Amino acid sequence: MDGIIFDIKEFTVHDGPGSRVTIFLKGCPLRCKWCHNPEGLKAAKQLMFKSNFCSHCGACTRPCNHDDCKPFSRCVHVCPNGCLSVAGEDISAEALAERILKNADILEIMGGGVTISGGEPLLQADFVCELAERLGKTHKAIQTSGYADSETYKRVVSHMDYVLQDIKLADEKGHIFYTGVSNEKILKNIEWLKQSGKQFVFRVPLIPDITDTEENLRAIAEIVGDCRVELMPYNPLAGAKYDMVDMEYTLDEEENREEDFTKFFKNTIILG
Amino acid sequence: MSTVLREYIVNREHHKFRKDFEEYVNLSKDYKELGLSPKERMTRRFELLAGLETPVLLPDEKICFIRTVKNIPDCFTEEEWAEIKSKHFIHELGYMSNLSPNYERVIGSGLLAAREEADEYGKRIIDAILALTSRYQKKAVEEGKTELAKVLERVPAYGATSFYEALQSFRIIHYSLWLEGNYHNTVGRFDKYMYPYLKADMEKGLYTRETALEMVEDFFLGFNKDSDLYVGVQQGDNGQSMVLGGIDENGNEVFNLLSELCLEASRNLLMIDPKINLRVNKNTPIRVYELGSELTKAGLGFPQYSNDDIAIEGLQKLGYDYKDACDYAMAACWEFIIPKVGADVANIGALSFPKMIDICLHKYLMECDTFEEFLGKVKEEIQKECDAICDNIKDLWFVPSPFMNVMIDGGIYDGAKYNNFGLHGTGVATAADSLAVISKYIYDEKRFTKEELIEAVDSDFELHSEMLPVLRYEAPKMGNNEELPDEMTVQLLKMFSDSLKGKKNCRGGVYRAGTGSAMYYLWHADEIGASPDGRRKGEPFGTNFSASLFAKINGPLSVIKSFTKPDFTENINGGPLTLEFASSMFKDEDSVKKVAALVKAYIDMGGHQMQLNAVNTEMLKAAQEHPEEHRQLVVRIWGWSAYFVELDKEYQDHVLRRQQYRV
Repeated sequence: MDGIIFDIKEFTVHDGPGSRVTIFLKGCPLRCKWCHNPEGLKAAKQLMFKSNFCSHCGACTRPCNHDDCKPFSRCVHVCPNGCLSVAGEDISAEALAERILKNADILEIMGGGVTISGGEPLLQADFVCELAERLGKTHKAIQTSGYADSETYKRVVSHMDYVLQDIKLADEKGHIFYTGVSNEKILKNIEWLKQSGKQFVFRVPLIPDITDTEENLRAIAEIVGDCRVELMPYNPLAGAKYDMVDMEYTLDEEENREEDFTKFFKNTIILG
Repeated sequence: MSTVLREYIVNREHHKFRKDFEEYVNLSKDYKELGLSPKERMTRRFELLAGLETPVLLPDEKICFIRTVKNIPDCFTEEEWAEIKSKHFIHELGYMSNLSPNYERVIGSGLLAAREEADEYGKRIIDAILALTSRYQKKAVEEGKTELAKVLERVPAYGATSFYEALQSFRIIHYSLWLEGNYHNTVGRFDKYMYPYLKADMEKGLYTRETALEMVEDFFLGFNKDSDLYVGVQQGDNGQSMVLGGIDENGNEVFNLLSELCLEASRNLLMIDPKINLRVNKNTPIRVYELGSELTKAGLGFPQYSNDDIAIEGLQKLGYDYKDACDYAMAACWEFIIPKVGADVANIGALSFPKMIDICLHKYLMECDTFEEFLGKVKEEIQKECDAICDNIKDLWFVPSPFMNVMIDGGIYDGAKYNNFGLHGTGVATAADSLAVISKYIYDEKRFTKEELIEAVDSDFELHSEMLPVLRYEAPKMGNNEELPDEMTVQLLKMFSDSLKGKKNCRGGVYRAGTGSAMYYLWHADEIGASPDGRRKGEPFGTNFSASLFAKINGPLSVIKSFTKPDFTENINGGPLTLEFASSMFKDEDSVKKVAALVKAYIDMGGHQMQLNAVNTEMLKAAQEHPEEHRQLVVRIWGWSAYFVELDKEYQDHVLRRQQYRV
């Protein structure tokens, strides 16, 4: 079956054990205000415009006959400076697996694997399951918000060797305010994950004054207990791609306050 | 570390001892009037300069010798040079450079022993070195540096009996080679020939790991004392390359405690000399790569890695003995050279691959009915060009350096054991991508006509401008693990090495084909206009062995897959694949290990040479000024990456600011 992806990154070093290839699936039910991949939010294809090299030649505004340009008011094939692209590629699980497996030997030498990220991969659960099956013995990880009904969550996770499970906000109201959805399903899936026997790690984004508050971190610590936690400091560059998809980033560009965030957890590291 | 000495050198305080000797600017005129032979001139000049030197001991330093004579006057007048050049082929500045002298022999048995074997000129130069040494020795006595004074009583006159003596002996020999006028004087397999001295001293309890490291750091600082006086294309291009690790002739790993100390010293000092090369092979433990990656993290752009498994086999194919091939070292940049017995000229010329495509595009595209036929023309043209390059190199003449002659076994005047010439190969990705375009769009899909392609290229894409985005951004590119351009690279490299096979050079050696570019990636790019791969007129080629600058590349894994496809044992003059990473990527220990695993994967898959850069602020600033030259510079931000140049200026500034904290 077909899925939609918006990026493939080679040699990712913070997306699971070893060095990895990370696949970004397009579409997400959450709207975290700090999301750094705005082109991963909508399931539909989007025009991306990198204005830095634009010479205002107007070539992209002239009518064209390309099928893939139809949804947009621009032609994406004529820019002499490579400013225009489409975020979103329809691809079959078979073709995607084939593309990934071209690097299977080098991933194996490096002791790495594939990480399926997003967007929210659980939105394309069937596609992910088929992809995982086609990837065979290659090490597979999923990076997820955990926002799905438990049947879907369990089914997808059962295909994986490793889970990178986000925990953003422990408080339900806060979760709704900052991500647009309740965390009820997520917390339920986390409880299952903890006793599932799967290898996993919790990932906590440290967003200044939103998720990095003492109250939230203590509450998350309560949920994760002794389990491994990776803390991801806020990066002021998170909003860098919003302009490219004609969206507005609403958070500040302030870094996290000076604080040893690891003190809240029993088993944690801060990622670079 | 002696921060006192390091700061002193970094702040160039020692420059205050330097003197200009205006009265000798026209030395060559006197020599000409006296009708002196070139060897006599070289010898007299050395005697003069050594006599003009003032012994100076810097604060805290253990290993001495700095240059106080600023400039070395030429031995020959302009008219004489013009005459020499009219009769001979002259390489660069006219010296035999990029050699790896036999430090091991001379440190081991001393200059007096070497003097026995030397000709009259060599003897006189050795005498001048020893006279200067004894003036340094007196200075050491005067300043109460009794340990140093004792060391200078022995070396370099006699064989070194301690690590200290060996290092000081090296320093004086190396200094003397520069004073003689030689340049790109390389260091060779330092950990191989120097470790026995350290080992013996450590067994005697003379050093701990810490004090040995301090000694190495003091010694390393020596490479940076006079380096601004050394000639090169750019400041820093001085050829002080040091090779660590690799196998010996019995297949045993050389990597030892001294290798580790050198990597550590380099990391602590953060100075550009000596330039560290790490020899590795399929049996090299991952720990060695990890130590290397720690140094990469420091942002100096080294170590550069070379693959023993490929280099040794390749060098043997060129006719080097197994034992000598096992001993290979690095020239100034990345050319494979043989220490002690080699007098190769590893960078004597360069083939421009894109120029060959350009010629064939204009001369033969219209008449070729199939792509195979066109490719055959490319092969013919490469053969013609290599014939022309080699035919042009006749009667190579070089300034006879009597001391360098002593330092290479058997001497260099009439040829050493190896006298091969190396050619760079520039812009292979641009050429391969261009061939891919011709194959796919002209012959296979017939999307564009031959006329359209030629007109587009000739007009720098003013005509048929709709072709540009297709050729530039949609066409398959070398570096993305795609069959077509990768296969073109394989074929181009084979054509290059095949066309040099069987050729004898004017010194009796053979020719070697390489994958490096040196400065030619700019020079050769200026020789042609636009190219069929969508490269506009005036845009440079990729440096050395790398993807085209504007190619949208999937990532390092695809690059490694693409760039390990050719058989490098056939193209072993040198020229590395270069990968650039933002230094922020090296922040945590785990990532350093992952980079090490990536390098190991490249070597295990048959890559020949690799250079990695942890990109620093300076490069990011340059990327802001010239974004077109740094399109592949990736900035990594936890879970995602961006091409730095595609970020808005304000975000670029952010990255810059952040880099300042992280480097």
